[in-house]
Amino acid sequence: MEKPKRTYRFKRIDTHNRTSIGIIVLVIILLLVPAVMHSPYYIHLLIMVGINAALAMTFIFLLRVGLINLSIASFWGIGAYASAMLTMRLNLSFWLALPAATIISGVVALIVGLLLCRNSGFGFIIPTLAFASVVVLILGTFDVFGGYVGIVNIPHPEPIAIPFLPVIEFTSKTPYYYLMLFLVAVVITAFYAFYSASTGRAWRAIGLSSSLAESLGVNLFKYRLTAFIISSSACGLMGSFYAHYYSALVPLTFAPFPKTIYCHIFAILGGIGFPFAGPAIGAFILTIAPELLRATGAIEPILTGLLVILLVLFAPTGILGLATSGWSSMHPSESIDRIGKWIKASLPTSRTDRENRK
Amino acid sequence: MSTILETRKLSKYFGGLAAVNQVDLDIADLEILGLIGPNGAGKTTLFNLISGFFPSTSGKVTFCGRDITNLKAHNTAQLGISRTFQASTLFMKLSVIDNVFTGCHLGYRTSMWKRLLRMPSALEEENMLKHKAIELLDFMGLASLRGEIAGNLTHGQQRVLGVCVALATNPKLLLLDEPVTGMNPSETLTMVSLIRQIRDDMGVTIMLVEHDMKVVMNLCERIVVLSYGHKIAEGLPAEIKENKEVIEAYLGKEEAE
Repeated sequence: MEKPKRTYRFKRIDTHNRTSIGIIVLVIILLLVPAVMHSPYYIHLLIMVGINAALAMTFIFLLRVGLINLSIASFWGIGAYASAMLTMRLNLSFWLALPAATIISGVVALIVGLLLCRNSGFGFIIPTLAFASVVVLILGTFDVFGGYVGIVNIPHPEPIAIPFLPVIEFTSKTPYYYLMLFLVAVVITAFYAFYSASTGRAWRAIGLSSSLAESLGVNLFKYRLTAFIISSSACGLMGSFYAHYYSALVPLTFAPFPKTIYCHIFAILGGIGFPFAGPAIGAFILTIAPELLRATGAIEPILTGLLVILLVLFAPTGILGLATSGWSSMHPSESIDRIGKWIKASLPTSRTDRENRK
Repeated sequence: MSTILETRKLSKYFGGLAAVNQVDLDIADLEILGLIGPNGAGKTTLFNLISGFFPSTSGKVTFCGRDITNLKAHNTAQLGISRTFQASTLFMKLSVIDNVFTGCHLGYRTSMWKRLLRMPSALEEENMLKHKAIELLDFMGLASLRGEIAGNLTHGQQRVLGVCVALATNPKLLLLDEPVTGMNPSETLTMVSLIRQIRDDMGVTIMLVEHDMKVVMNLCERIVVLSYGHKIAEGLPAEIKENKEVIEAYLGKEEAE
């Protein structure tokens, strides 16, 4: 007689509660990090992870409406330079320059988007690349922006007094870390509002099948333009923060290669099906890993490149995609088998092979 | 009966090729009109012109007394023209109910910002539309498959879902591009009766392209025949069956002996 299959039952908390608990725990851990970790170097890395993660989130945000944006770094740079200019030339406070830089990035995105968002596919990708190159050229050529040497001595944010808290002075890395957390939270909240409910449905529809979405009355241009403006504003927000954190800007930081491409890779590595956790995990790994691989010197980009190739071949849904579905469906031997097949297919056929075929 | 849609001298050229050439077409309110013709006759192009997917080269389209020539697809959808596609075009990764729900996009009366901020009026509307989507699925006989991922449905079910999604926009005119192609006989029968029900119960005018002559002759009240972009015949099914030009278009001209 067939044995009944043994099933394990856990007391299940429903998914919604589990997610909320997970988020609360994560936030507490993130808030406690500076208390445990005293090395300014690691705090610096985490701040860069935050910036990179937010930029990668903007990539997924636009991808949802079927657009691939190669000007992420440019809008990041526009925000950074706008903020630097406003504080240094107009003596504006950082706390005013931050929203102002966000709005400036948004307005530039509106103007660029009016021209570009009617297209999709390569009609959008290539012009954004062209735009990205123009931004670097403009920043590098005009003396107002400090040329290719860049700008230095960008002022740190003014001390800020939040009720019930001591005055926060930006003298160490820790306040920057908390500011970064706050700004990333702002970006996530804004994006989440757009993803969820009805607006999100229309956007997702465009990404999945633009012609069907159009036939259902979704105004592709309007939605794509809105998405472009929102995502570019978020880039500008992070740019403004970066400028005052790093206190020096060089135009080439904001070139599409490698920065924008890395932003795409962060998202793909983490999993593009996960609009927030994916970029965060991808950015975490790829911001920390090069530092750990620094001993390998010049071949670090090669190792990163190899990682990306392996990823696309064996985990196209990213780390999170693999973690949520792939583990169970793919046995380790199967993935090794796949690597073997792939290598075999890419090698030139040997003589015996050719002879056998005859 | 009043006309709901009319095209006058509607033409579309792709380079030198006239895909649709000077077509005059009238669709009466609440009729089921069949559009037939050999492959490449311009049937789907005509659909694309009416629904706004392609701009026309010349000519005029009027819908409910309003000039809709060269409006974009999302505008014609707002005015009440909905269409299905030849290939099963669905949001394959989404569930059946989400597919229909997405089709309800136009049903929103609250602004995008109200919905973003989750105002009570927006949430209420959301609920109402969800009910509407479920009702629609019930009507189309897909209620039991509500939670299934669209990509996992059978071909026949996907076609029905496609019509269901198109209906979610509350159209006055529904353009069906080969609704029963690739279906087995029993699925075809279901679809035919559904199309009749959509017209009778929901008051939607229907225009369909179909190659299955049995279905066309059985279902359509009037038929328009296209060949090489020209309208070559128009009339009742019985008349079309006897029409010499139509037979020639399908079978070729008989050589003079």
